[in-house]
Amino acid sequence: MANTATDGTSAALDSRRPLLATEDVAAFSRTLGEAPMGAQWRQRAAEVAATIDYPDRVRHLWKYTDPGRLAPQRSLLQVPQEVAPFDLPDTPAVLIQPGRAPQPNAAAIASGIEVRALLHQDADVEWIGRAVPADHGYFEAMNAAAFNAGVLVRIPRRHVAEAPLRLVMAAEAGRDVLPRVLVIAEESSQATVVEDHTGGGDGAVVIGVTELLAGDNADLHHVLVQRWQDGTVGHLTHRAEVSRDGKYLGAIAGFGGDVAKADLGGILAGPGARSEMIGVTLPDRRQRLDHHTLHRHTSGHTWSNIDFKAAVSGRARSAYTGLLRIEANAPSSEAYQENRNLLLSERAHADTIPELEILTDEVSCSHGATAAPIDPEQIFYLQSRGIPADRALRLVVRGFVEPTLQQVPGGLRAELEELVEERLARLEGSA
Amino acid sequence: MSDSRNTPIFSCHDVHVSVEGKEIVKGVDLEVGAGEKHALMGPNGSGKSTLAAALMGHPGLEVTGRIELAGEDISELEADERARLGLFLGFQYPVAVPGVTVASFLRAAMSARQGRDVPVKEFRLKMQAAFEALGVPRDFAGRYLNDGFSGGEKKRLEIMQMALLEPRMALLDETDSGLDIDALKIVSAGVNEATGSETGVLMVTHYQRILDYIKPDVVHVFMDGRIVRTGGPELAHELEERGYDWLADTTTASAGG
Repeated sequence: MANTATDGTSAALDSRRPLLATEDVAAFSRTLGEAPMGAQWRQRAAEVAATIDYPDRVRHLWKYTDPGRLAPQRSLLQVPQEVAPFDLPDTPAVLIQPGRAPQPNAAAIASGIEVRALLHQDADVEWIGRAVPADHGYFEAMNAAAFNAGVLVRIPRRHVAEAPLRLVMAAEAGRDVLPRVLVIAEESSQATVVEDHTGGGDGAVVIGVTELLAGDNADLHHVLVQRWQDGTVGHLTHRAEVSRDGKYLGAIAGFGGDVAKADLGGILAGPGARSEMIGVTLPDRRQRLDHHTLHRHTSGHTWSNIDFKAAVSGRARSAYTGLLRIEANAPSSEAYQENRNLLLSERAHADTIPELEILTDEVSCSHGATAAPIDPEQIFYLQSRGIPADRALRLVVRGFVEPTLQQVPGGLRAELEELVEERLARLEGSA
Repeated sequence: MSDSRNTPIFSCHDVHVSVEGKEIVKGVDLEVGAGEKHALMGPNGSGKSTLAAALMGHPGLEVTGRIELAGEDISELEADERARLGLFLGFQYPVAVPGVTVASFLRAAMSARQGRDVPVKEFRLKMQAAFEALGVPRDFAGRYLNDGFSGGEKKRLEIMQMALLEPRMALLDETDSGLDIDALKIVSAGVNEATGSETGVLMVTHYQRILDYIKPDVVHVFMDGRIVRTGGPELAHELEERGYDWLADTTTASAGG
């Protein structure tokens, strides 16, 4: 049943296209115990995948990351015999691992949120692919056909989840993990879902897709924590579709991995919809972290805001592209975007590319982008008060991201601040 | 004048400072005794601020000469090490650090100076007392450091920091400039309060006005990178009446004192 065409480290690259035969995809779906409609959906995705070329660097959004670095290295469509153990906290949490059904802890089971394997019911195909269709791109098509760690999260109508639900997305050294998350926040529900991408190591590859559907008047918060270990490479695609009067907040902490690209977006699909994204990335050493954000307004009377910060040190590179697109039938929309970059070393590099596509009048849009080295006078000022240079540097970086973190609600902010602190402890003291 | 000149709290000998190869400070000797207040007066562009920054250990300046704090050679120390030993620089233009609150900064600075983690409660009490002494509104604590502060607010915050850090030697660079008379009185009272019989003070200033409120024991005239004359408080009054020009032809003279 499994595709064994790629067993070397470069075979997938040489072929430029993993061989996802539809019959292998169907067999894989049966192995995972999916519903018949699920198998059909994957097969159609495999057909789509066969029509999409492997991205090259001249393509839009691939200018700053070599897509070759992100190719799965081993055979897809295999269920691993063993997976590494991961501890879950006592708060509501679900362990997501390749070839395994999602494993919720007791608190998650008691949370009133439905958590189960994706595509295990025929009806799932009505929702999957809505925000990220298989033809979104090469990696998205591959994920649709071959995802091996799927989870469906459904927040029932009017349900208010008090505690955040944590999805522990476990990457593993030497393994391809293709996680797929579908969050359905039904009408007037409220919930926070934390997607915690952890683990990894040498040879770990993650190709993930997350779809977030915020229903009418729903209030959905999503936190993407990407803290892969060194050696990991990955590509994550996220789309939130926000219906009438719905609210979405997406917070991104993009920290880990050697090469990581994330394509994050919100679609304002109903009048009164609001979407806000905040992001913090702190690449260091030789990391290549590439973030793309999109806010697409397909309905009028909608509002969006993006605040994305990158502090780059060592020889790391950050790339940020942010697109605001207001469709012709979306008047009276407001869209704002800001990207600020702080360079902590001479060899650190940041690219920032804001893009606006406004197809209607009567909108309010603004975008801003800056990139500047750290001000040595700030470090001297703090030093003159007894604070050592390395500590001063961390304070300045902390201050740089602080106003962004302030926009994240209570408990989550504390968690993000802790993550930032942890990350800053790695920073070397060279201003 | 104090009689402790045999054991100066601060001294520097033959200090030269260059910026990108250009010599700005051309050999300065100073001795400040415990509890003494010295004024360093000079025209704009004479290198006063460069000297103050060099004494504090600014990493962008090339400095030669010997600098001592309480008998200890600090010439080779980083700015933060000098600060922890008790040297303080009140900045002419305090630097904004957005995103870092005044309270978290002050606590980090106090902890560094005292070599211990100052407990939150103890810190709060001290900070509030310092706020009141300098007429600083309480909401300062939550504001970002010097970010969007008026000139007067920044200077008050500098003196407040000095009060909390209890330095042995304070270099005050143009602490008076840009202050209205009411703010000047408050800031001067803060300086006098914070510097008792133990602290040495070097006030770098362009104007004579502040010396009406902080009485100097010694006045130095600084021109073209050198101290050209040293005297008592009466020298400041002489400068007030005659300006600096009459001293211009004495710039080759060695520092008196």
